Order: sequence, then structure tokens, then C-alpha cells
Amino acid sequence: MAPPDTNDWTSQLRRGVLELCILQILRDEPSYGYEIVTTLESLGPLAAGENTVYPLLRRLKADGLLETFLRESPAGPPRQYYRLTADGRRRLAALGKDWEAMADAVARCMKGDRP
Amino acid sequence: MTIDHPLVHRYLTAFEAALASTAPDDRAEIVAEIRQHIGDAQAAGRTLDDVLHALGPVDALARAYALELAISPRSAPREPRSDRWLKILGLMAVASLPSFIVLTVLGTIGIAFTLSGLAVIIAGIADASGALPGWIRNDIGPAAAIATGAGLTVAGMLAGWGAVAYTRFLTRLVRRVLPPRPAHS
Repeated sequence: MAPPDTNDWTSQLRRGVLELCILQILRDEPSYGYEIVTTLESLGPLAAGENTVYPLLRRLKADGLLETFLRESPAGPPRQYYRLTADGRRRLAALGKDWEAMADAVARCMKGDRP
Repeated sequence: MTIDHPLVHRYLTAFEAALASTAPDDRAEIVAEIRQHIGDAQAAGRTLDDVLHALGPVDALARAYALELAISPRSAPREPRSDRWLKILGLMAVASLPSFIVLTVLGTIGIAFTLSGLAVIIAGIADASGALPGWIRNDIGPAAAIATGAGLTVAGMLAGWGAVAYTRFLTRLVRRVLPPRPAHS
């Protein structure tokens, strides 16, 4: 499922916040690849393709922010789930703060705030 | 649930090949996850064509993983030949003298003590049953002979076990320093 808006700038923005969003999605409970992809899809502009999300999940795991575990599936082989590590939680908190600061700054800029 | 369709099989086989320079464990996990994705997407009602199209060509998908993990899909930075030779020389320099000493000593003790120990036990038993040939003299008596023989045999077997253990340790060490190189694609 290609992102609805293939505008380059939106893509750039999305790339920037995708890590934050994935960490946030996994904040309260573990989830698996397909569920994460569809959750992002349901969030409109955040819909990143599966060929973006899966590699990113792997990178986050390689960076130690996520860990995987297997959960038995009723039909078929065990399914790989992702959950936050302690480092992942710290990173989520840091990125969340950065995002708030950035969003606030952009809002003020759009409102025309001048020194 | 994944439906085993020839298209899926072909896609995943090609995908696995495109991931040739990823570590085997990672590669297996990645392929398994994409297989799971295809199954989940189909279970959610999407057509197989749609799913595979959205995943894109296997080379591009493999490249996406490689970019994220900062390795190149088909030509991973291979261990330079000079590095590998340095490691081999280093291992040889460090390990050859101790290995020579340990294996020679333990090996000799192992074989010699075990064999002679068994021989002494047999002699002791023979002496006890009066069957000792005339040209063999047992000065310490049958019981002591059997005991001595047993001691020798045990010492020999311990030495032999030590040699084997050392060899195993050395093999693990070599494997760690010189991991098998990834297959050329």
C-alpha cells in the first residue's frame, strides 16, 4: 500500500517522525509487524509502506531500542512480536520531548511570532 | 496463516537470495517476517498480487533493509584478505608452542600411561591367578600391581581427556577469531 501522498516533502517529514511513532505504538503493549503497519496506515499521512516499516523495525531492533519475542499463533508458525527495551523507552521519551518542542516552534512560526 | 503459493515461494526464494550478505540468522528472521506479512495481508482480504506489488521487487526490498542496517545487499564489506592472514599468523604465533607442548605431553602421557596401566593390571591379575609367565617378575604383589595399574590407567585417561579438552578449546577459539566467511553470491 503506497502512501496516499507521494509528495517528497511529506515523505521526508514522515521519515523523520516514523521512529517516534513506532516507539509510541509499542509503548503500552507489544505488537507485530503487520499490526504496526496497519496502525500507521490508519493514521493518514503517517502511512508508510511495508517496505519502509519492516526494515525500520529491524534497524530499531539492531539499535537495541526494540526486542523481539515469539508468540504462538493459533494457526501457523509462531509470530514475531516487538516490544520496547529500556533503551527504547528512554529514546521514546527523548524523541517525544523533541517532537513537542519542534511542533511548538513550528506552530509559533506559522502564527507569525517574531522576536 | 500463510497459504503456500508458488508465487509466494518464488518471491521469498528470490528475496532470500537478495539478502545473501546478511547474517544467516537475521536473514531467516527477515524472510520469516515477510512471509508472515504476506499471510496476514491475505488473511485481511488483500489479493496476493496486490500484496507482492506493494512489497515491491525483491532487490529493492533487500536494499531497503541494507540501507537501514548500513550494509550493502550483495557486496558486504568482506573481511579484507590481509586481515584474515594476520589473524591466522597471530593465532599460529600464540597457539603453536603451547599446543605443541600440551598436546605432546598430554598425548604421550595419555597413551603411554593408559596402555601400561592396563598391562600392569593384567599382570597383577595374572599374578594373582598364578598365570604370570616366568620372564615377568612382580615385586610388589598382585594387589599392589592392580592398584598401580589402575592408577596409571586413570592418570592416562585424565591426560587424554585433557588433550581432547584442550583441542576443543582451541577449536572454539579459532572459530571465534576466524569466523567462516559468508558465501559469495
